[in-house]
Amino acid sequence: MRAALSRDNVRAGLIGGVTVLYLALVGMIERFQDRDVITDVIGLGTLLILIGLAGTGYMASRPPKPRPGRKPVTANPALIGLVAGTTAGVLAGAVILILELLISAGVDVRSVLASVTPGMLSTMEFGLGPVGGALILVGLGAALGAGAGALRLLSDQLRDTVTFTLTAVLLMSLMEPILSAVLDGLSLPDRWLYEGGGLTVLGAVLTVVAAGAGRWFWKEREPQRKEAVALLPADRRTLYRKLAVFAAVAFLVVLPWLVGSFISDVLGTVGLYVLLGLGLNIVVGYAGLLDLGYVAFFAVGAYATGVLTSPASYLVREEGQLFAEKGLTNFWVALPFVVLIAVIIGILIGAPVLRLRGDYLAIVTLGFGEIIRTLVLSDWLAPYLGGAQGLLNVPPPPPEALDLRAPQNVYYLILVFCGIAAFVAWRLSDSRIGRAWAAMREDESVAEAMGVSIIRYKLLAFAMGAGVGSLGGVFFAAKIGSIFPNSFGLLVSINVLSVIILGGLGSIPGVIVGSAVLVGLPELLREFAEFRLLIYGAILVAIMILRPEGLVPNKRRQRELHARDAEAELSVIVTDEATS
Amino acid sequence: MTAPATSSRRLRFERLPLRRIILISLSIAIVYGVVAGSAATLRMGTFTAADWRSLVINGIARGSVYALIAIGYTLVYGILFMINFAHGEVFMSGAYTAFFVAVAFGRSGYLNAHPLVSIGAILIVSMVTSTLVAVILERVAYRPLRGAPRLVPLITAIGASFFLQYTFRGLYGAQARAYPTINVLQGTWTIFGVEILRTQVIVVVAAILLWIALFTFVAKTRTGRSMRAVGEDREIAALMGINVDRTIVATFAIGGALAGAAGILYVFLFNQVIFTMGFFPGIKAFTAAVLGGIGSVTGAAMGGLLLGVLEAVGPNLFLTGVGVPSPNQLQPVVAFGILVLVLIFLPGGFLGAPEEKRA
Repeated sequence: MRAALSRDNVRAGLIGGVTVLYLALVGMIERFQDRDVITDVIGLGTLLILIGLAGTGYMASRPPKPRPGRKPVTANPALIGLVAGTTAGVLAGAVILILELLISAGVDVRSVLASVTPGMLSTMEFGLGPVGGALILVGLGAALGAGAGALRLLSDQLRDTVTFTLTAVLLMSLMEPILSAVLDGLSLPDRWLYEGGGLTVLGAVLTVVAAGAGRWFWKEREPQRKEAVALLPADRRTLYRKLAVFAAVAFLVVLPWLVGSFISDVLGTVGLYVLLGLGLNIVVGYAGLLDLGYVAFFAVGAYATGVLTSPASYLVREEGQLFAEKGLTNFWVALPFVVLIAVIIGILIGAPVLRLRGDYLAIVTLGFGEIIRTLVLSDWLAPYLGGAQGLLNVPPPPPEALDLRAPQNVYYLILVFCGIAAFVAWRLSDSRIGRAWAAMREDESVAEAMGVSIIRYKLLAFAMGAGVGSLGGVFFAAKIGSIFPNSFGLLVSINVLSVIILGGLGSIPGVIVGSAVLVGLPELLREFAEFRLLIYGAILVAIMILRPEGLVPNKRRQRELHARDAEAELSVIVTDEATS
Repeated sequence: MTAPATSSRRLRFERLPLRRIILISLSIAIVYGVVAGSAATLRMGTFTAADWRSLVINGIARGSVYALIAIGYTLVYGILFMINFAHGEVFMSGAYTAFFVAVAFGRSGYLNAHPLVSIGAILIVSMVTSTLVAVILERVAYRPLRGAPRLVPLITAIGASFFLQYTFRGLYGAQARAYPTINVLQGTWTIFGVEILRTQVIVVVAAILLWIALFTFVAKTRTGRSMRAVGEDREIAALMGINVDRTIVATFAIGGALAGAAGILYVFLFNQVIFTMGFFPGIKAFTAAVLGGIGSVTGAAMGGLLLGVLEAVGPNLFLTGVGVPSPNQLQPVVAFGILVLVLIFLPGGFLGAPEEKRA
């Protein structure tokens, strides 16, 4: 008991309580409550509170890291979880109670804390009023904390199954927009699974049973399966891998016809970010140059397409006329020129600054991005680039049959170019150039001493990134049909950077996963849209601290990033041996 | 190694000094543009001497704000060698939080009855908030990453910057808000026969006082000495009995406090707060820090002033004569252009140590 009451546990509880309060005070809990996880049973906001409280217990009860010279404290994890969870609940409950008291005393809390709305308070109180709410927060904190701590007592297999099942329910519910569209597309009934934006009770029970049983048996047979895979002859393994890739491609091709036009449109946007991500991945992931002004090339691509193909472009328009008969040329003729222009601009921007050290380079590229945005927005260049009004009437690519008003066709067009870019990136990564980049990224001086021409390879990476980024701009222009300067802010660069960092620097599947999660999800779940950048920021910080190699790591990169940990572990072992 | 044909082609490519050609043409273009543009503007005579003077004073006032923020960048860079990209948000957090104190004072009439006390209180709230945010930022986001490859903390800092911006948006709301007016600060004073806005005088004086306080602190106190020692060599400093963690926290705290003060001075000049207000001053202050030589406190002050003046005068002076409409729209181009040029031609800044080969 004494051990469970340690300062560390109380501190973990306080951190948990602050986290729950944070989620409430920035407005997430109220906004997310609009989405049902299980219709009429639990909303996402409530679930967030519960996850916060349970997570406190789970984190507090995690086995302590071995530290040299310190004996690990042993206590019952359920007790630890109980203490931490209760602390969190008490803190959250107390603050909510104080807010309620202030409001009833006539203080206008909302004029300062904009998110302290009646809706937020009632969600936090589970609709039980101030005192009941505070009590239930304490009670839930205790129960969930203890329960989450008790998970540590279960066998690995059982614990894994429980957490997997709970995650599966949450994911099934969040996938509602996609899955119900797929079921509709296949003209299957979906009312048994989803209702009013969340899972039905039946759907939730089925998910629990299916996910729980599936995971249990998957884990049960894991050793045999691994053995079987290890015994497979090499050629069979490559065959299976090829089949898997083929199946994935086939899936991507039929996908838009399953999900209908709204989700196809979202898929098109995801594809656009995959393309941008693949380009930035060459610069940041392969060559190790942090480029924060990537949006510059996106803008160059879009504006160059506009100027070359729009009938409103200054190249074809007569003095005083708004539109000419038609643009200078068509989309497909313009495409290579646009990429060429972007590559040249990339070299012009890159050549003077690539000598700079990494962090300075990042800031300089950020500066270039902002310069380009300011320029396209300015009155000075307005006669050429449209200024604040933007460039209108960018015609879709010919022929007519490639009807880009259908989002499915946009998706296919982008898919093809993503495929090409992914193939090029994949082939590059193991080529002589890719190896030069890797050497440069790991240690510039050593690479230079080994005969890698640093400037040349940096320029090459920069120019290739510029080219692919401008392709993104080209499709953006074709997809939207008009170009507005506000689409080209720093946020685009940050979005793309977040995508490749979440997915894993240097990893091609990572780019796809990153775009699906960071671009696709917020488009589908409108509740997220408001907190998009908050979540991006949190992800960038969390990934860098907890898992710098990303979700789908590139093997080599992972080893680079964990070289330090391996050394640290070694030193712990050595000091342990020395002290014992 | 490879076939002779390829190697000779590569040689020819390398003999072409692409980088140097671009650099030289860039500098020629810029020098020509600046000289010709300024000459044309002066010949046109659109601006009177009084106009130029007020532009310069305006530039000095905003430059002193940049200088105060820049000190935060410089101190942190000096000991951790990382760009604290979220420093602009530290600046925003103080000014935005103090806004509510100012409104409360303004509503009760206390603000104009006791302006000195209320401004003091607002300043303290702002400085305390910014200090707290800076310290928490260090503890949560940067401390776990000490010794990580250089780009890792920078990416973290960018993430933290957006996280803080949108946290404050969630907490306080998305709209821009105007600070209540303080009557004492309205109007002008005549100094050496020149009429200057009172706010501008106060901002400059306050910035100078704060800068002197900081300079004395870093030069004279024990903490200041440990800061310099940790910047010199962290391991040796630790061996000499300096608590490195505490010193780093102190550095963030001092930078945060100055940013908080800068936030209030900024509000004196521009009179409004919004959750995005930290971004541009942050970047410009970073530019100022680089301009003066990152790591140097005096450099940060000089860089800030120079950047403020260039930004206020530059677009009008260089661009009006060339016939660019509404040149002040292009202010960011001037600021970022200076940043780019300084980093290319003078990466050490004016007062910085010459760029170390490898850190």
